[in-house]
Amino acid sequence: MRRLFLILLFLSAAVGSSTAAELDRAELIDRLCGDAAALGEAGRSLMGVAAEGSTADRAWAAPIARAMMDRKLTCDGAGAVAITADGSRDALSGAPRTAAESGRSPLLSLKNRSVFEMADAALALRSSSDLGRRAAALRTLERQAVTLPELLFESAAAEESDPVLRAQISAVAEAAALNSVDPAKRIAALQRIAATPDRRALAKVGPLTKDPAYAADPAFKGAVDATVRKIERGIKIGDVLATLYNGLSFASILFMAAIGLAVIFGLMGVINLAQGELIMIGAYATWLVQEALQRFAPALTEYYLIIAAPVAFLVTATIGIALEAVLLRHLYRRPLMSLLATWAVSLFLINIVRVTFGTQNLNLVTPFYVTGGVPVIGDFIFTWNRMFAIAFAAVTLGLTWSLIRLTPLGLNIRAVTQNRTMAGCIGIPVRRVDMLAFGLGSGLAGLAGLALAPIYSVNPQMGQNFIIDSFMVVVLGGVGTIVGTVVAALGIGQVNVLIEPLWGAVAAKVIVLLMIIAFLQWRPEGLFAIKGRRK
Amino acid sequence: MKPLASDHPFQILLAVVLAVAALLAVSMVTPLGISAYLANAIGQLAAFAVLALALDLIWGYLGILSLGHGLFFGIGGYVVAMHLLRHSSEVTGRVPDFMQFMGWSSYPFYWAGLDFFPYALLVAAVVTVLISGVFGYVSFRSRVDGVYFAIITQALVYVAMLLMFRNDTGFGGNNGMTGFLVLFGWPIGGSGVVIAMAVVSVLLLAAVLLGCRLLLGSNFGVLMIATRDDEVRLRTLGYETLRLKLAVWCLSALIAALAGMLYVPQVGIINPRLLSPELSLEIAVWVAIGGRGHLIGAVIGAMSVNALKFWLSAAAPELWPFILSGLIVLVVLVFPNGLVDLAKLKLTRPMGIKRLASEPELR
Repeated sequence: MRRLFLILLFLSAAVGSSTAAELDRAELIDRLCGDAAALGEAGRSLMGVAAEGSTADRAWAAPIARAMMDRKLTCDGAGAVAITADGSRDALSGAPRTAAESGRSPLLSLKNRSVFEMADAALALRSSSDLGRRAAALRTLERQAVTLPELLFESAAAEESDPVLRAQISAVAEAAALNSVDPAKRIAALQRIAATPDRRALAKVGPLTKDPAYAADPAFKGAVDATVRKIERGIKIGDVLATLYNGLSFASILFMAAIGLAVIFGLMGVINLAQGELIMIGAYATWLVQEALQRFAPALTEYYLIIAAPVAFLVTATIGIALEAVLLRHLYRRPLMSLLATWAVSLFLINIVRVTFGTQNLNLVTPFYVTGGVPVIGDFIFTWNRMFAIAFAAVTLGLTWSLIRLTPLGLNIRAVTQNRTMAGCIGIPVRRVDMLAFGLGSGLAGLAGLALAPIYSVNPQMGQNFIIDSFMVVVLGGVGTIVGTVVAALGIGQVNVLIEPLWGAVAAKVIVLLMIIAFLQWRPEGLFAIKGRRK
Repeated sequence: MKPLASDHPFQILLAVVLAVAALLAVSMVTPLGISAYLANAIGQLAAFAVLALALDLIWGYLGILSLGHGLFFGIGGYVVAMHLLRHSSEVTGRVPDFMQFMGWSSYPFYWAGLDFFPYALLVAAVVTVLISGVFGYVSFRSRVDGVYFAIITQALVYVAMLLMFRNDTGFGGNNGMTGFLVLFGWPIGGSGVVIAMAVVSVLLLAAVLLGCRLLLGSNFGVLMIATRDDEVRLRTLGYETLRLKLAVWCLSALIAALAGMLYVPQVGIINPRLLSPELSLEIAVWVAIGGRGHLIGAVIGAMSVNALKFWLSAAAPELWPFILSGLIVLVVLVFPNGLVDLAKLKLTRPMGIKRLASEPELR
């Protein structure tokens, strides 16, 4: 400890002496050719150059430090000659010349050698154009980072062009400052760490409570405690936000899957067990659009998720309308039979897709706008793929709501949902409304498939079991209300995400199901039931 | 419902079932050309027919569709599998493989006593009645019915499947239970035991068939059909349908559990896929194809669909889902009462389709 302190004193003296004036190159060369003490002095000057010398000085000093390390510097009567990558040159002027016969190469003592090694690495970090060399230099510097001037890392980080290496430099500097002998520096470093409160920061600060200074210095102890508190609070906030965000994205997927079902079930009392397969078809349509774009308009491939939206909607809506016209039209008075019929359709769709496309997962390009994320606080990262699902669900919700609330078709759908017979009596074409609504519900399933395509694995089986989750949403929300579907999806999504880390995904499903059964005891018609006569 | 004495189709079916049982029984003593494989297939079909009867009782005669009957089938199957494994480990001297994988050297406490068959029967019955009773009570009390009830039962069986897929429950996890060696002391692979199991299955099918028929012919059966056709009116008249529905629901669950107990020893394995929602849906499909609301229909439907499935799964596995979905659509659109309609068609006149459609159908 004391030795470290001494070295540091020397260092700061050296740095102090070289800051004011321009580097005296001749004096440095003299020292290089001098005795061991002078050599040490020269090494520290070189480090000073690396930390705060001008660009020209650094470029001049770098090969000399390298040559010293390699014992390729020869002192003779006229000064010194360094053999560098460019050949044999005069150390001071850089003019080509060879050393005199009588010249000698200064030998570095073990102590001086480590000083020069650091100086060489520092100069390389600042002036080398080779990324690999800079990274290697940083690894060398890291070993004695505590003894090096802070300014070195600061300016190196500021000038570094490679983001990865820049982050590494900052990390080394931070660790150095944290373990510095100067309490003020340590506290300043703690405050900087507290600015990004995540689990990595906690791992850095945590061991400091066992540091001798923690017991000895009350100011340091206070700073450490405050930092730990701040980081822990940040992590907690981050975790809560992450849970909310995950819940929200899960809820938006649930909502996308359930909204189509809700429209159909509310209107006709028919559960479409093929809804999951329509989701699957929507995902396949998205894939087909991507493939077509790759072949005919490669420039647009990245935007396939947006271009595929109308395609996925229309394909599934067409299937839905055909289904309604051929099959379900005859089954409105027998809803239980319609369950079997739609299951038969789902069986058919799964197998026709399996025969046509195979069972393997499809390869979907992940476009740039759904990759990566923004770290917010703690370990919470605002990821774009989840945001895409949420935004897509929000847009779908807006469109569906306006369609149901603001258009004549929506008015008809609401009328038939409330009272089918009366709606028929006042001249609403009930059958046509059924068909269009079924198309709408199926099309929404197709959009759900599109939203899932970049997140889920796309295969013929992917639609299975969606029906149970989405039906739970419909039951909880109340039949035929969009608000209910939204609230129920949010509720089930959040509850699922809250339970999952505690007891696992299976337990989450079990508990959610039991909660819904219990809920039905209290409100059999769901959260937002349309007022009407109870059976 | 016609009195039993004049219900000829039923009498014929019962006679055929008993005849098959007798034929199988005789073949144990003197070879009649019935291979163990065929007997095993017949035995499995009989188990499926019992399962279909269970569903027909609740769906065809009470109008409640359960898409989760696989759960009760599974309970029966799992309990009998545990019973068989207890005896198998007496032979091998070790706990089953899946427990060794978990690092367990002895059975967990809930396996205790299951080697005693009457106790195993009791456990299966109690668990089945408990689950079906609690679930039925809360559902029927809040008047959850129709499509709601169907989907919630489907969710129930789905959740049970997820639970059983976990390896730490002590029920075999995703591999399930297999490696049954002895049944009541006899080696389970011997052709005599295989045929005996088939005989027992067919006999129990006959018993369940007759039992259901007697129940439906009684006053209780009349109440069931009244509940199916107009529950609101029955309630308005002052009859509490909750108890009736609950009783039939539990009975149906018990019959399904019995079917599971017959099925598992004959296939020699049980795993959570038995609890998949698809299998439970298929039961409804058998009943619908055979003819809902007819005991004969349920038996014939389960037998014919599964026989077709056995055959096609070997001959053309790719084709089977398409044929099944085609059959369902055909039944749903053209023959609302399944194969029973087909029989009526021949008996009446060739242009009978129009008339059938205009007849009042079950909802």
